Amino acid sequence: MASLVPCPNCGRRPKEEFTIKGAALKRPAAGADASEWFDYVYLRDNPHGAYEEYWHHTSGCRRWLVLTRDTVTHEVAACRDAADGSRLEERT
Amino acid sequence: MSEFRPILRPVLGTKQAVSSATLRLSPLPEGTIIHVLARPGEEDMVPFLGSVAQTAAHAVRPVSPGQWFIVGEEPMPHKEMKSLFAALEPRASGVDQSHGRVRIRIEGKMASRALSKGTALDLDPSAFPVGQSSVTLIGHIAAHITRVGSEAFEIIVLRGFAESLWDDLARMSLEFS
Amino acid sequence: MSSYRLSKGGLVDRMAPLSFTFDGRSLQGFAGDTLASALLANGQMLVGRSFKYHRPRGILTAGAAEPNALVTVGRGGRTEPNTRATMQELYAGLEAQSQNRWPSLDFDVGALNGLLSPFLGAGFYYKTFMWPAPLWEKFYEPFIRKAAGLGKASYEADPDSYEKSWAHCDLLVIGAGPTGLAAALTAGRAGARVILVDEGSLPGGSLLFETATIDGEAAADFARDTSAELQSMPNVRMMMRTTAFGWYDGNVFGAVERVQKHVRDPAPHLPVERLWRIVARHALLATGAEERPLVFGGNDRPGVMMASAMRTYLNRYGVAPGQSTAIFTTNDSGYALARDLEAAGVDVVAIIDSRPSAGVGYRGKARVINEAAVCATRGRKAISAIEVRRDSRTEPIVVDALAMAGGFSPIIHLACHRGAKPVWSAEKAAFVAPAGLKGLEVAGGAAATTNLAACLGEGAVRAQAIIKELGLSCPPVALPKVEGDEDTHSARPLWSIPGVKGKAFVDFQNDVHLKDIGLAVREGYSHVELAKRYTTNGMATDQGKLSNVNAIGLIAKARGVSPGEVGTTTFRPFYTPVSFGALTGAHTGHHFQPVRKSPLHDWAKKHGAVFVETGLWYRSSWFPRSGEQNWRESVDREVLNIRKNAGICDVSMLGKIEISGSDAAEFLNRVYCNAFLKLPVGKARYGLMLREDGMIYDDGTTSRLAEDRFFMTTTTAYAAGVMNHLEFCAQALWPDLDVRLASITDQWAQMAIAGPKARQILQKIVDEDISDAAFPFLAAKEVSLFGGALHGCLFRISFSGELAYELAVPAGYGESVADALLEAGKDDGIMPYGVEALSVLRIEKGHVTHNEINGTVVPADLGFGKMVSATKPDFIGKAMLQREGLAAPDRPQLVGVVPLDPKQSFRSGSHILAKGVAATLENDEGYVTSSAYSPHIGSTIGLALVKSGPSRHGEEVVVWNGLRGESTPARLCNPVFFDPQNERLHV
Repeated sequence: MASLVPCPNCGRRPKEEFTIKGAALKRPAAGADASEWFDYVYLRDNPHGAYEEYWHHTSGCRRWLVLTRDTVTHEVAACRDAADGSRLEERT
Repeated sequence: MSEFRPILRPVLGTKQAVSSATLRLSPLPEGTIIHVLARPGEEDMVPFLGSVAQTAAHAVRPVSPGQWFIVGEEPMPHKEMKSLFAALEPRASGVDQSHGRVRIRIEGKMASRALSKGTALDLDPSAFPVGQSSVTLIGHIAAHITRVGSEAFEIIVLRGFAESLWDDLARMSLEFS
Repeated sequence: MSSYRLSKGGLVDRMAPLSFTFDGRSLQGFAGDTLASALLANGQMLVGRSFKYHRPRGILTAGAAEPNALVTVGRGGRTEPNTRATMQELYAGLEAQSQNRWPSLDFDVGALNGLLSPFLGAGFYYKTFMWPAPLWEKFYEPFIRKAAGLGKASYEADPDSYEKSWAHCDLLVIGAGPTGLAAALTAGRAGARVILVDEGSLPGGSLLFETATIDGEAAADFARDTSAELQSMPNVRMMMRTTAFGWYDGNVFGAVERVQKHVRDPAPHLPVERLWRIVARHALLATGAEERPLVFGGNDRPGVMMASAMRTYLNRYGVAPGQSTAIFTTNDSGYALARDLEAAGVDVVAIIDSRPSAGVGYRGKARVINEAAVCATRGRKAISAIEVRRDSRTEPIVVDALAMAGGFSPIIHLACHRGAKPVWSAEKAAFVAPAGLKGLEVAGGAAATTNLAACLGEGAVRAQAIIKELGLSCPPVALPKVEGDEDTHSARPLWSIPGVKGKAFVDFQNDVHLKDIGLAVREGYSHVELAKRYTTNGMATDQGKLSNVNAIGLIAKARGVSPGEVGTTTFRPFYTPVSFGALTGAHTGHHFQPVRKSPLHDWAKKHGAVFVETGLWYRSSWFPRSGEQNWRESVDREVLNIRKNAGICDVSMLGKIEISGSDAAEFLNRVYCNAFLKLPVGKARYGLMLREDGMIYDDGTTSRLAEDRFFMTTTTAYAAGVMNHLEFCAQALWPDLDVRLASITDQWAQMAIAGPKARQILQKIVDEDISDAAFPFLAAKEVSLFGGALHGCLFRISFSGELAYELAVPAGYGESVADALLEAGKDDGIMPYGVEALSVLRIEKGHVTHNEINGTVVPADLGFGKMVSATKPDFIGKAMLQREGLAAPDRPQLVGVVPLDPKQSFRSGSHILAKGVAATLENDEGYVTSSAYSPHIGSTIGLALVKSGPSRHGEEVVVWNGLRGESTPARLCNPVFFDPQNERLHV
């Protein structure tokens, strides 16, 4: 029925305005080895709890956002512009 | 065919304004819309854009971080636009969207109630004061909304969706017309 | 005797009589009645038959929880089955039909099910219909389908409209009873943005049947005055006839407003229902409490009613339940009813109180029987007597109505919609909402507060606290003085009653009775979720509003644990049923989805185009001319004319993106697999975009209009996706690049002008020299038209393989320019053509589209292997494209196909088989991705992705279509069928 996403540029907006890409992972360096690329393209953690995802405010400011969402409660703990601030963690 | 003069065909040219005591929906003239995209890191763009766009006939509307629309009622001649684009450089680039976007005005006591049938934006003046702009979904169509008066809004929509959005807005206004 | 209207009293307007029909019988009620109160006023106590046993049923409640009195209202497309008579406001001309009976309500054949009841107990379909298996389809399923369900939906289209709306507030108050009114008033006076919703037609909730006074004023008058004050506040919105049905993420509440469900002829400019999404900074749940039934034999007989409902009919509607009533109570609320009945002149024969002594000083005439219980009722279609059991002795008492007061369960559904579990309070003998919910508080009856003064106080105080928490100031709250209220605190629940005779119903709507619960526990289904599924207790339209807590109590007793240990089933939206109409809103018919119109749409229409839907676009397919018998004739003519003269086609739907900024070229170099860094200004280049997994994502041409300004085109289907993807690359992957992206798809009307005469036609309107020398193949630049009257962009690119251009002009001038081109090319035989001809032309040239770019192909599969840059340090897809398997020689790759016999044809999607092999998955060699009739080749031609395709040119194969039973001998060939040397491009 409804769910609001706190866009850092536009305020809280319904999820229908957004497109979800999935896990927010750091793109490997061009020369990274094949297994690193394989992880980036195919492997996902599917955690129970906090998860960082790329969301695009497609029908709003058209900015890509990094959203920290709890996969159990849907609670959004943080949302920032993908171009801003802290870099994505390297996968370990 | 240098004697031939191409004719502008406004996309909402055949639409009749919807008008009542509490609401008026009308297409705005297809004048000028310039999409301004700032170079990353540029700050204080609004006063700059104001000075570049110069006249009161053009208004500056925020679109998203680093992007604005400069809108005007009259079409801007090609040469003038080119020199405006040049004046924006290197701080920003200008893209002509005068035909790509269409403006619609909705005003009156019930305008915000009608719009709330489509958008999740909180249009209360305390949350969305005069001069504020936002891009949002109106029903299924993305549009740019600006509060241009205490009870008046300007909507900017992609040309291809303009007729559908008009039909939707007319339906949303039915209760108040 | 049966129920009847009192000569005075109630909030109905006796000056406004209304006629309505029930099962075709004409009856009278008053404005202010519900259908239920009007039926009772007419002595109509039997209103329906039960779901499983077809038992006669009457009106049990006066509100949303009604399980029995479900009727069908309206006719034709406005037929609404399963309408709760207790919630349906009466209007003149209302037509109601009883349900679940045949041939009539009084004589119902289905009632025979009652005799079969030993076979219809809990879990009966799991047991009874297990075997023999063949009987399922022919016997069991039709039987169950016929028996199941309540009312019948109409097959006619709904003539009414629906819509949706958003609303925003500081405080949403759900429920306009004493608690909600006090809260809304407090917050409203403090200046907060308040929305107050209530499902009833009048604000007041329990105040509408309350006999206590508030500040010396009748409770109903207090409700009226308070709501008048609220309505006068600009910051308060009162929404009556509005049910808040769900609590969602982000503190959004779903609500449905029944705008015109209380009128016979809905006004066409208004919806009949409106779905609200209310974004609340904070909410207060003031939904009150639901009275619980008592589980004794024959507790479902018409004339047995909830005590609070009986009080509502009496005080609010002026309707007496009968002449001589009895009240079966476990708490003090039964005495308030006794007092009101006696005041209205209705005999109260007995008050059967399960407790040792009454808690309040009752001074009425009724005989009070303590430590007793009703164990059975008598009567057929209405109650005629009760059997009262005390000290193992049973005494019959003649009555014509019986009230049951089993205590109150707070209505906490919404508080539990986001995962919170109710907790059992032994002190309150009720499930209450857990503490610490974010953004929502519960107050009043919904928080198990039972007396009126406390509810009024709690509403005001909670609102005050919320207002302060939201950072607003709140004036001090003055609490009103209440007189004449009884504390109706539930003493102790009475789950099971000794000596019960006959069927004692727990769930009225699903016909689940005491023995079913016992059976479920004995058979191992005592977990509350299992018991629900095994017995169906708590299912269907009322979702167990009356039955769940009793079922839990009974299970708890059977298991010897507390109700808290049994727990509740999960509360999910919707609180009460919501129509599909409301959920759909206005998005039906013409408004189902937006139409995206090309700026040349009306131009194409004017020239007779037949359109085809492509996503949200309407594209012109072909332009029939008089005398043409079928679409193929039109398409063949268009194709031949383009290769001979010239054609003009609308390609405005192609995605167009302007890319600027000092790093624009570097950016393009990273998003395309081929090189773009050194593309000269004034040139266009075909580009392939890959996905990160190495597969092709999209293709198109990108032109460099200035050093740091590019004009990109994408395919129509992927225009939006490519824009999102480029924004992702620019913002998330490489935010350090100076690259700016603007969608300009809608800015330009774009037309392809193709054919050997394209240049001479175009030169008539383009001011610049466009000779081959001045404007060679792949030239791209801004041009001036009509002697400087207009400016556009011209690209010398070709999808057809002919000398061709794409001209982009400002959209509003598109129609005028397209017409000018038709005029300019009149003598050269120019014709408009559509996407069908375009498709034939590109298949003849072996050009690919998303038919071939199907998500599983890499550039080499389509013959683009050499385009992929080997020198660029990085581009999207580079790393994964190196994978060994993507270079395997037997990958499906692009090849042409022609039938051996030109008179034969095949379709896209058909599979390629080696000659003489069986059509099996193992033998599958690939499939036809595109096919068309080529008037130049004189037969069907196709493109296909076939294993090792490029090395198999000349091989004879079979094109097999299993769906149509077609098998066509064919030959694999070069995918370029026409002008393989591209001589026509460079003229």
